[in-house]
Amino acid sequence: MKQLVRVFATIFIVAFGLMFLAARLNMTEGYSGNNTLTIYNWGDYIDPDLIKQFEKETGIKVIYQTFDSNEAMMTKISQGGTTFDVAVPSEYMISKMKEEHLLIPIDHSKLPNLKYIDPRFMDLSFDPNNKYSIPYFWGTVGIAYNSSMLGGKKITNWNDLWDKDLRNQILLVDGAREVMGMGLNSLHYSLNDTNEAHLQEAKKKLASLTPNVKAIIGDEIKILLANREAAVGVVWSGEAAEMISENKELNYVIPKEGSNLWFDNMVIPKTAKNIDGAHQFINFMLDPKHAAQNAEYIGYSTPNKKALDYLPKNIANDKRFYPDPETTKKLEVYENLGKSMLAHYNELFLEFKMHRK
Amino acid sequence: MRAKRKLANVYLIVIFVILYAPIFYLMYYSFNSGGSMHDFKGFTLEWYKEVFHDTRLFIIVLNTLVIALLSAAISTILGVIGALAIQMLRKRQVKNSLLTLNNVLIVSPDVIIGASFLILFTIMGIKLGFISVLLSHIAFSVPIVVIMVLPKLQEMSPTLVDAARDLGANRWQVLSKVVLPFITPGIFAGFFMALTYSLDDFAVTFFVTGNGFSTLSVEIYSRARQGISLSINALSTLIFLFTIMLVVGYYFVNKKTGKSNGMGVRGR
Repeated sequence: MKQLVRVFATIFIVAFGLMFLAARLNMTEGYSGNNTLTIYNWGDYIDPDLIKQFEKETGIKVIYQTFDSNEAMMTKISQGGTTFDVAVPSEYMISKMKEEHLLIPIDHSKLPNLKYIDPRFMDLSFDPNNKYSIPYFWGTVGIAYNSSMLGGKKITNWNDLWDKDLRNQILLVDGAREVMGMGLNSLHYSLNDTNEAHLQEAKKKLASLTPNVKAIIGDEIKILLANREAAVGVVWSGEAAEMISENKELNYVIPKEGSNLWFDNMVIPKTAKNIDGAHQFINFMLDPKHAAQNAEYIGYSTPNKKALDYLPKNIANDKRFYPDPETTKKLEVYENLGKSMLAHYNELFLEFKMHRK
Repeated sequence: MRAKRKLANVYLIVIFVILYAPIFYLMYYSFNSGGSMHDFKGFTLEWYKEVFHDTRLFIIVLNTLVIALLSAAISTILGVIGALAIQMLRKRQVKNSLLTLNNVLIVSPDVIIGASFLILFTIMGIKLGFISVLLSHIAFSVPIVVIMVLPKLQEMSPTLVDAARDLGANRWQVLSKVVLPFITPGIFAGFFMALTYSLDDFAVTFFVTGNGFSTLSVEIYSRARQGISLSINALSTLIFLFTIMLVVGYYFVNKKTGKSNGMGVRGR
């Protein structure tokens, strides 16, 4: 008994000691004051220096929390019990959050830096007039390939993937919209097409691609391509940029037929407590210098037109990640097709996955 | 006979190598200056430096330890009381149904437990954060402690208690001088099980963290979107070494006091 009491007393003392230490650290870092701003962002998706700079300029302490998927973020916000002031969902999630009234309209008069955003990326179908969201990063879906493994061959469009020489060389990202979009685009249809005949045609076309497909996988594509396990991958541009920085043989191309344009956007969820601070933060991130610094750190494309002046020339002029208006005209954002249509897309994608070679 | 023994040893070694290889692989690459988990370019301590400079990560590690220690200790106390209560029940049926209810909690998927806690806390208006994580960890640890302690109680001969009563011990003395010392190994086993469950729990914690409060498993998972940085390897290495030190320390402490620990019935 004595021994038990002694052991448990020690455990409690140690635990409270550690708790005290954590609280002290929180205090010295300023996380427990009143003037705070809670930001909910993807893991490792901001330059930490910018947060420090923002804190110094405004005196607001930033509490930074991370999520790993749009769905997880939405669950947390819609359940309440949290006080997130700024969140960074992808575009398709914004229309969903709008439907469920989870967002607070953004006051554009408090964002003088909004004028630096490229008009190409404003007022898009998922959020007319940018009432609820401000673009944070953007990118495309395209083809990453290892030209030395293909004997110097170049890939420029989706239909190149059907080349017989690419047998068992292609890695596809495991997403219904991405793969179905690829099938539709290769037939020069819109990737938001809902015409049943077009969808069936796309499915048939995808089925004929199966001999070339090595695997349909998730994040591993990055490592596999960098390690020369396969020559071609259908990926998001941000991932492609990371792969290229690891393996210089790789190249990225936005297919000629058109492709998807995606956005991660800053929004103010209805759980926000510090709405003023949230606007200040969004405006801070829209400052061209800060946007450029962030883009250089993360490696994704910034929608901030003025920021390109502050980026190193070889990044800002890279047509693969900052395509010209000619190319972006052909890019489309995913529209919210409604539950039943999305289920149909998923079904067709599943049938493609089950297709025997 | 000898060949057989050799074979057994080889088998053991192979199994341990398989079990530990991933950990050592991870530790090896924490020293890689190349920045990725495949291509060892050169030796560096940069990742360790990064870990020590990241105060946010350090606070999260502290949070994780505090939650683990507190939840394990509290759930051990609750669990021991629960096990004693179940053991004292006379009716077989009631006992069995209580035990089944206890086991259902262990078997049911973490995701369901986590989701239901999230709903419960938001209905009750408890802000997500330290308290919500602590409460949920205590809740899923209690059944484990009960399961660990109960066999020890069943093992104890009822005559032991009768004898103590005969010799004039009151109820409290029976509990503190006879029963508790007898089941001490079970209590510690329960405590350590609860501790490890709490330390590595992801699913339940994932649902109930919020407002800047996070634990290590949730944080590492969120960072994985961009490919795991090698500073996570460095941190894992440090935690692994720390755990090894604890285990070795526990072993030596046990060895020193083990002999006098015997039956524990002599009124210490």
